[in-house]
Amino acid sequence: MMQSPVHPPFDLKRFLRILPCNLFAWILLALYLAPVLFMINTAMMPTEQLGDKSAPLYPSRITPYEYQGRQYRIYNVPAEDGMKQWALINPGLEMSQFIDPQDPEAGLIEWNGNWRSLTGVYEPYFEWENFTVLFKSLPFTQMLGNTFFLILAGEVAVLMSSIIVAYGFARFSLPGGNLLFYLMIATILIPEKITFIPTFFLYVGVLDWRGTVLPVLLHLFFGNAVYIFLLRQNFKSLPIDLEEAGMIDGAGPLRRLFYIVLPQSWPVVITVSLLHFFYAWNETRLASLYLGTNPELMPVSFGVQNYQSLISIDNVIDASTVIVLIIPVIVLLFAQKYFMQGLVITGTER
Amino acid sequence: MQTTQTLGKNGMVAPSVSIETRYKHQIGLMLISPWLIGLVVFKLVPIIASLVLSFTDFHLLTPQQTRFNGLGNYEFVFTDVKAGAVFVKTIQLAMIVIPLQTFASIFIAALLNNKDLLMKNTMRTLFFLPSIIPSFAAALMWSGFVNPSTGWLTRLLLSPFGLEGLNLFSSRDTTGALFILSSLWTAGPGILIMMGSMQGIAPEIYEAAWIDGAGPVTRFFKMTIPLISPAIFFSLILNLTAVFGGAILMDRGNTFRGTFSSYDGYVNYVLFDLFQMGYASGLAWVFFVFVIAVVLILFRTSRRWVYFPERD
Repeated sequence: MMQSPVHPPFDLKRFLRILPCNLFAWILLALYLAPVLFMINTAMMPTEQLGDKSAPLYPSRITPYEYQGRQYRIYNVPAEDGMKQWALINPGLEMSQFIDPQDPEAGLIEWNGNWRSLTGVYEPYFEWENFTVLFKSLPFTQMLGNTFFLILAGEVAVLMSSIIVAYGFARFSLPGGNLLFYLMIATILIPEKITFIPTFFLYVGVLDWRGTVLPVLLHLFFGNAVYIFLLRQNFKSLPIDLEEAGMIDGAGPLRRLFYIVLPQSWPVVITVSLLHFFYAWNETRLASLYLGTNPELMPVSFGVQNYQSLISIDNVIDASTVIVLIIPVIVLLFAQKYFMQGLVITGTER
Repeated sequence: MQTTQTLGKNGMVAPSVSIETRYKHQIGLMLISPWLIGLVVFKLVPIIASLVLSFTDFHLLTPQQTRFNGLGNYEFVFTDVKAGAVFVKTIQLAMIVIPLQTFASIFIAALLNNKDLLMKNTMRTLFFLPSIIPSFAAALMWSGFVNPSTGWLTRLLLSPFGLEGLNLFSSRDTTGALFILSSLWTAGPGILIMMGSMQGIAPEIYEAAWIDGAGPVTRFFKMTIPLISPAIFFSLILNLTAVFGGAILMDRGNTFRGTFSSYDGYVNYVLFDLFQMGYASGLAWVFFVFVIAVVLILFRTSRRWVYFPERD
């Protein structure tokens, strides 16, 4: 949008050249994201529609009709003089009675045939209750508060430690050269299970930290290897002149980091904080182990996942998933520019 | 991009204007000390502890009665039929998932870098979007989508062409197939890594090939692929460790029970249902050694197929 402030005349040749690529990309994207759309669609469906094969694909219900103070439904009825849309009053297997909504005064119309063979007349209908039921059955505000506390505390801890460590790796020679840095990369490859078993015993069996936020947050104060890697690559790519000038003026390493390096590194800092945001928002593994016993500390994603295991209706499950997804998706869409930039640059550096 | 690369090549370290190396070492160590402490407390000590545990019959409920049982756990791993079955299944899945993820991310990255593509940033974000969906939700969405009677796969994509029979999810055990499908959704970070690598290729190289008469397909396979091979290697290692339960660029937060890797699932069963921590440690260590071996083999062979630009 930004590239063409002046609208050029429509260029058919260019249009035909770029059409296949764009068309293909959009079709591929539609297929790639189709399950998401499917879920959003299902989330808005009334429960009756779920097993109804003759219903349209979009959220809908059989059109209701009120007759003498009661609700009836409108069906397509093959009458003698063509297809009619009548409201079903008395369903029967051999003979059913209908009312013509166009002409209710005419009274009951009898039709011979099984009413189950008829298809309904559908109208679009969104079942918002699928969403509201979640708020009624879960302490949602409290869970949201818990999640935001965990995210905020985690962000501060992991950003501070990772930034400082990354600066150390980027600008200072260490004993053993790059060996410690490679060791850090190697720790990314350690399967979680290896370190998990003793840690779990320590937290639960020895320290009795179950039901506290400590096991979920503590390790974040010591940096995260992936974040340190991303930040270090970015710090290394910055010109060093300003830092040298700062050094000559007597600024210490932390001062140089916070006053010279960080102001130039917003994209990657935002990227890392977003990565942690998405992680912390979706985190259910540690939450299920350490926070699961304390309902007061339950974060949103674990609470909803727990809730989903208790109910069996697809539309309500999908609605709760939509609710969990909506915040990270909005954040991603708003921050897309920085996020993509920060990650792509790192890819170049490798 | 250009500046980043030239700067990166210099191997920048703060010039020692008037500071001695030892002093710099000290500052460096002080700065990285949070990570060093974390390394010892959260990695090294637990690794050694789990290694020690793997030689014991440590049970969560009766820690006092723990005794060393030598190689007993390991003997049991190799005779445990269930462990063998989940091991084979995990490797089978990995053999499908990892190449699929790699090809998908190269392909989508190439598409997203295409000069004819409009709205590039939006497209990139939308292709990245599934990577932030937690895996329990992803599994739900895919199983709903492929459901033979109500899912869109049948109703929207296959039925209009009379191909309902092609829906493979109607009959057999579908967890494996679902895992493969939803693993495509973790391609996001891989796509970004490949994309960044492709953007780092100097346009002059392509121009030269174009003048020499190389078509787009030749250019892609003979130039792009070799030039981004470091990125392919990098994402291969990441995918590998992700499938085998390592940390990943985007942790999508599956629960212990909701894990898809069968081996991981079995370790969880031993851990949380049987509370046999000693045996679970043994199982985890067998797999750890296997992953290390695979990674080492990859590094060994990397010299043959990964293009590392000349340094210095």
